[in-house]
Amino acid sequence: MSTRSTVDNALASGWFGAGLTDAARAHLADMAHLTSYPIGEVVIREGQAIDSLAVVVEGRLALRLNVPGRGAVTVLTIEPGDVIGWSALIPPHRATSTIVVLEPTSVVELEGAALRARLDEDPILAAAVLWRLLDAVARRLSATRTQLLDLFAQPDREPW
Amino acid sequence: MSPTARRSGRRRPRVGVVKFASCDGCQLTLLDLEDDLLAIAERFDIVEFPEATSRRSAGPFDVLLVEGSISTEEQLEELLRLRRESTTLVTIGACATAGGIQALRNWSEHGPWAATVYPRPELIESLAMATPVADHVTVDAELRGCPIDPQQLLELLTALVVGRRPQLPDESVCAECKRRGATCVVVSQGTACLGPVTRTGCGALCPVYGRGCYGCFGPRNDANVVSLIANTAGLDDSVASTRLAGFTAWAEPFRSVIDDHGGPPGAKP
Amino acid sequence: MAQAIASTNVPRWLPADQLDRLIDVLRADGRTIIGPTVRDGAIVLAEIQGAADLPAGRGDEASPGRYRVTQREDSRRFDHAVGPMSPKRWTFPPRAPIRLGRRTSAGVRFSGVDPRPTPRPTPLAFIGVRACELAAIKIQDHVFLDGPAVDGDYRARRASAFLVAVECATPTSTCFCTSMGTGPEVTTGFDVVLTELDDGFIVRVGSPAGVTVVDALSLSPADGSAMKAAEAVVAGARDAMGSPMNMENVHEGLQASPEHPGWAAVAERCLSCTNCTLVCPTCFCTSVVERSDLDGSISTSERTWDSCFNEGFAKVAGGSFRPLVKDRYRQWLTHKFSTWWDQFGSSGCVGCGRCIAWCPAGIDVREELAVIGGVGPVPMPQLSVVAAATEAPVTISPGSVPAAFVTVHVDGSSRETADTMTLHLSTTDRRLLAGRPGQFVMATLPAFSAAPISISRFRSDGLDLTIRAAGPATRALTELERGSTLGVRGPLGRGWPVEEMTGRDVVIVAGGVGLAPLRPLIDACLAERDALGAVRIYLGARTPTDRLFVEEVGRLALRMDIEVEETVDRAGPVWLGRVGIVTQLFDHATWDGRNAVAFVCGPERMMQATSEVLFSRGIDVDRTWVTLERNMSCGVGLCGHCQLGKFFVCKDGPVFSLAELGPAFTTDGL
Repeated sequence: MSTRSTVDNALASGWFGAGLTDAARAHLADMAHLTSYPIGEVVIREGQAIDSLAVVVEGRLALRLNVPGRGAVTVLTIEPGDVIGWSALIPPHRATSTIVVLEPTSVVELEGAALRARLDEDPILAAAVLWRLLDAVARRLSATRTQLLDLFAQPDREPW
Repeated sequence: MSPTARRSGRRRPRVGVVKFASCDGCQLTLLDLEDDLLAIAERFDIVEFPEATSRRSAGPFDVLLVEGSISTEEQLEELLRLRRESTTLVTIGACATAGGIQALRNWSEHGPWAATVYPRPELIESLAMATPVADHVTVDAELRGCPIDPQQLLELLTALVVGRRPQLPDESVCAECKRRGATCVVVSQGTACLGPVTRTGCGALCPVYGRGCYGCFGPRNDANVVSLIANTAGLDDSVASTRLAGFTAWAEPFRSVIDDHGGPPGAKP
Repeated sequence: MAQAIASTNVPRWLPADQLDRLIDVLRADGRTIIGPTVRDGAIVLAEIQGAADLPAGRGDEASPGRYRVTQREDSRRFDHAVGPMSPKRWTFPPRAPIRLGRRTSAGVRFSGVDPRPTPRPTPLAFIGVRACELAAIKIQDHVFLDGPAVDGDYRARRASAFLVAVECATPTSTCFCTSMGTGPEVTTGFDVVLTELDDGFIVRVGSPAGVTVVDALSLSPADGSAMKAAEAVVAGARDAMGSPMNMENVHEGLQASPEHPGWAAVAERCLSCTNCTLVCPTCFCTSVVERSDLDGSISTSERTWDSCFNEGFAKVAGGSFRPLVKDRYRQWLTHKFSTWWDQFGSSGCVGCGRCIAWCPAGIDVREELAVIGGVGPVPMPQLSVVAAATEAPVTISPGSVPAAFVTVHVDGSSRETADTMTLHLSTTDRRLLAGRPGQFVMATLPAFSAAPISISRFRSDGLDLTIRAAGPATRALTELERGSTLGVRGPLGRGWPVEEMTGRDVVIVAGGVGLAPLRPLIDACLAERDALGAVRIYLGARTPTDRLFVEEVGRLALRMDIEVEETVDRAGPVWLGRVGIVTQLFDHATWDGRNAVAFVCGPERMMQATSEVLFSRGIDVDRTWVTLERNMSCGVGLCGHCQLGKFFVCKDGPVFSLAELGPAFTTDGL
């Protein structure tokens, strides 16, 4: 079992938790626990109901989409400090990708329903948390757009 | 071994020359390459060339030069078959690349014309339109012109053997006109000229002799035909469709501009 | 010699019926005489046999898109303005062979250099050259002769050219030399100048060669009344052009207006037909056309006039940098009137008006300048178009001709990705071996166009080129095997500022094949590791199989004194490394960039995104360098293809700091 101070330290170690006030981080730590995943574990599959938000403390996770006929494509890897499971805060609370563990990983996990309730009643905490969540999602959106451009792609092959 | 040496060590590419609705002028251009004809024959195995040999061969072809537009059902079927049998398909001339002069009939109703011209029009089997080859199959490269330019043909064949990109620039006839030191007929004489919107390749043949360009090589990219009509001497809305309705009338944007000016003159029998 | 000119520079009188004596003296020196003559409805320049070929009694009128030869009542020979041709046609011909390539049993060989060093053209004499044309010649002299690279072909032709100028008497409505400060008076850059009166010519000399020629004619001095009449000729020409335009703000005005709606408006009229650039007496852009026999074993490279109005002019493998006609019109007008000042210290326009008269659509640059460039009609003190004009005759500087293609040997090659190879080349060429990280070479094979290739490693006995097969020419290079040869010219361009790394943290960001020009810089980091702070290398690629130098990067990553992070845009399930874009490797990193320098290479958009993140991490724009891709052809700033605003990417770059580039880095279609 993780102690509260271990969770608090873990939260403080990455960019997501580092900028929070001590009070805000303490609130989160109170409702969080550390979880570890071995290599190869599927944390969640695309489309499944998701009920927790997690901040990665160490390790590496792959966000994968399955393309029939092409197999699993990794579209992003998640490094320490970043979050997984933002869908737990936003309806319909279903995973938008499959999450697979690439390196032994530990995360600080926050149960979705409890976190939503807590943010509803504490606007100051909500502002701090949602601001960071928006940052994380915006980065992914921006990166996804850049990936869409396929900047390194070759032009079409000419007949000669 | 260098790549070129390796290439030359391969078997000779099988070349076919075929024609659909056309006058044969473009394939004759190959025979016009007198100085280089022997070298070409050494490099290529010319297995199909009705203007030069009665020998007939089936595919497959490494390179197929296609002349003529597609005007009948039979031609269309033949084209589809040849495309399947060819690695590189090159259209040659205004008919194959743009529909040619016969595409002017695309603006008319086929039936009444046939009735005017032929005593037994029911014997005429023809598609409603004469269309360029690229409307029906994938074209790997095209040589423009009515007829094509022998030097461009040689350049294309050389590039195919050597494995480089043929130098067929998409610039205006004006560029070549100026390099040759010809005086612009639009500016100095007010003569209608399609040179600014037409692709180079002919060596500015007409302007060098004081005539305006007829657009034999068809529109180049960025052909600003609207401005040409509105702003250059010798052209205006009253003569635009007459001037554009030539060998490459069916190529865009010439076609749309002709449409906007009521179609080519005399489109009805 | 200046003394001698002064003492003999008494204006002389040449009777009208003795003009042939001057022509004969010039021809006696073996010169071909080029002068105005009527042909095809225009007064053109052509070889003339004598004064009878000159357009006596003919004049001309010109307006936007219109030109006509007129009949005059007098029989003067030079009472016309300029026709469609300029002396450029002879000093810088439309086509010129520059190189011969051969495949021999000993490997590929290239003879002739690029451009040619010492051709021996027929010496020329131009007769009837106007002040605007002299200014244009002076501008082209500066472009081609004042370095750093010198065009040998131009130098030879120009050195032999004798210039007989004529004072302009009858400008047309398209003339605006008074606005550009180039005329109508002939003041400099001529050998002999004539002022034509009804019964003869005032003759003055402007160079030692001019003295020799005029001395041979044994002319008597011109009398006072003739001198007075001559003054009136020039004054009349000046008056005929009316008030000059105020060009004071045009340099800043055009560069400050890349998004002006006027560009799109003029592009609706512009035919992008290239006429304006090809009649312009200063435009110097060219392309190289390759011709070969059917084996590709003998090839000729020919330099031809090209134009920034052609879609293909700014094209690279991924597409054109100026896809729209408005981009190209902006390039032309801005270059001519604005960035030319930054590049060459003068305007690129001499006010001859050819681009106005010979534009089939009748676009008048003066109107476009007024709309877009803030050029006013008020007479104002003008910028002198020809910087530091002097009375001294034109001197031909020796300069250095760019290196020739040298034959280098392929010692081996390594496959990097499906379409990218690294060639390991051996050479003893000292210039090549002395290159700097970030420089590039032009690489070629007979019959193929030359391609700019980054040098990806320097060794004591050779270098590596990493080449992506983006088209036929580069594909042929990637197919070269051990023992074969290729032609290489370089090193070219300005490399990475290696000295800026000393005592600082170093951040290197590469995308795709962008790692190739950065590899010599990484080599330099390793060589100087003790003199540097932290070294961080961030690499992005499309997929795991698109990564370059995989083993080498793996070894680097194991070092304790260098941080290496890699990511790919997408990957299959086997890849256990990072997936994401390259900026995600460091946008939440904890390092402080205030004492760091950054070096970035990759697709332009990736470099823009990277620069923003680097800036947010404290690396200022004067400490971030990028290397740009453009359509580099000559490699020495003489062909015009790779221009980006005021820069020639090949010669001023390809490495630039963001501070140098400014808005040019992010303006579309520049």
